[in-house]
Amino acid sequence: MKAREGQRRKTKKRGGETYVFRLFLAGNESNSSQARANLARLCAEHLKGRHRIVAVDVLKDSTSAHKNNVLVTPTLILVKPLPKVTLLGNLNDTAQVLAALRLSGGEG
Amino acid sequence: MKKRQPEYPSRKTKTKETREIIHALRTQQVDAIVGRRHVMLVRLKHVQENLQTSRDQLRALAAYLLSVRENERAVIARELHDEFGQALTNLHLGLSWLSRKLTPEQQQLQEKIGSLSATTTSLIQSVKNIASELRPGVLDELGLVKTLKSEASKFEGHTGIRCGFRTNAVKTHFDRAVAVAIFRIVQAALTNIARHAQASRAFIALMKRKDALILTVMDNGKGIPRKRIHSHDSLGITGMRERTLALGGTFTFKGSRTNGTKLTVRIPLSRGAIQMIRPELTRD
Repeated sequence: MKAREGQRRKTKKRGGETYVFRLFLAGNESNSSQARANLARLCAEHLKGRHRIVAVDVLKDSTSAHKNNVLVTPTLILVKPLPKVTLLGNLNDTAQVLAALRLSGGEG
Repeated sequence: MKKRQPEYPSRKTKTKETREIIHALRTQQVDAIVGRRHVMLVRLKHVQENLQTSRDQLRALAAYLLSVRENERAVIARELHDEFGQALTNLHLGLSWLSRKLTPEQQQLQEKIGSLSATTTSLIQSVKNIASELRPGVLDELGLVKTLKSEASKFEGHTGIRCGFRTNAVKTHFDRAVAVAIFRIVQAALTNIARHAQASRAFIALMKRKDALILTVMDNGKGIPRKRIHSHDSLGITGMRERTLALGGTFTFKGSRTNGTKLTVRIPLSRGAIQMIRPELTRD
């Protein structure tokens, strides 16, 4: 019983958390546009109303990319909740992205 | 002296991050590489797409130009044969008629008419040859296999280079476009052999496989340097390659000093590209 309660609390807490993403893009290049659109769709489907996306265009602000150890774009960093997750590419593989962001299996 | 360590990580030391970056680059999911001072855009995908589009357009244009050229050749050949050839035949008949009307005393005129008649006969033959070169009537009449056989023996007669021919497609009827392409490729290859190869033997093979038609033309000459094969000046080779690619085929051309040259054309067999001739239609 105790264990169940603990589990429920954990799930509830996790479900209520706001996800903060930092997405590093290169202007309107094709992969960057795809990554932006894919992330917006994923958030709308799985994190409705509890996400925040900070898009960083490395063509305008490369210092920020450097500070975050971003070597290529598009790069998505899940800042919160911890642990931090970094994903590279256009985020086309929805299943893989959800798994990496710990959103698969109805947890989100 | 201390050896400088390589800057790039070895296979063993590749971190997960490095592997992910390499994977993203390989799958063309990277737009830019972020350096300390500069951001380098990687437009591989766009460039590749544009390059492919340009190639496709060029190929389509080449195929169109080849078909236009074949059609124009056909028109010119028909005009030459029908109009010019007919006029020369009439001239020849007229001269014969005149010759018959002359008396034995008109020796000088007789000789002049004889000479003109001989010139006319030679002209008629030339017109026939040119028309045949422009559009080989034998291709329509006898089909590809017999035309190639005839080309091989003509080549042997003109150049003195022994030329063999082998096929397993005797009873196959080829689509007109395929037949013309193969015929022109063989013509160009034989011309190259006669002009450049210094060969004593040549060989043509046209083999039908399950899913493709394979044409091979080879010789035992001095070969061809690799540079020449890919040179823009090698119009003959470029033309052969374009004809092959227009039919969705592959073209390889190899040359070595010891083994001579060998060209291989592989044309995939689609529906309609070739048909088996029914036994009752076989003209053998």
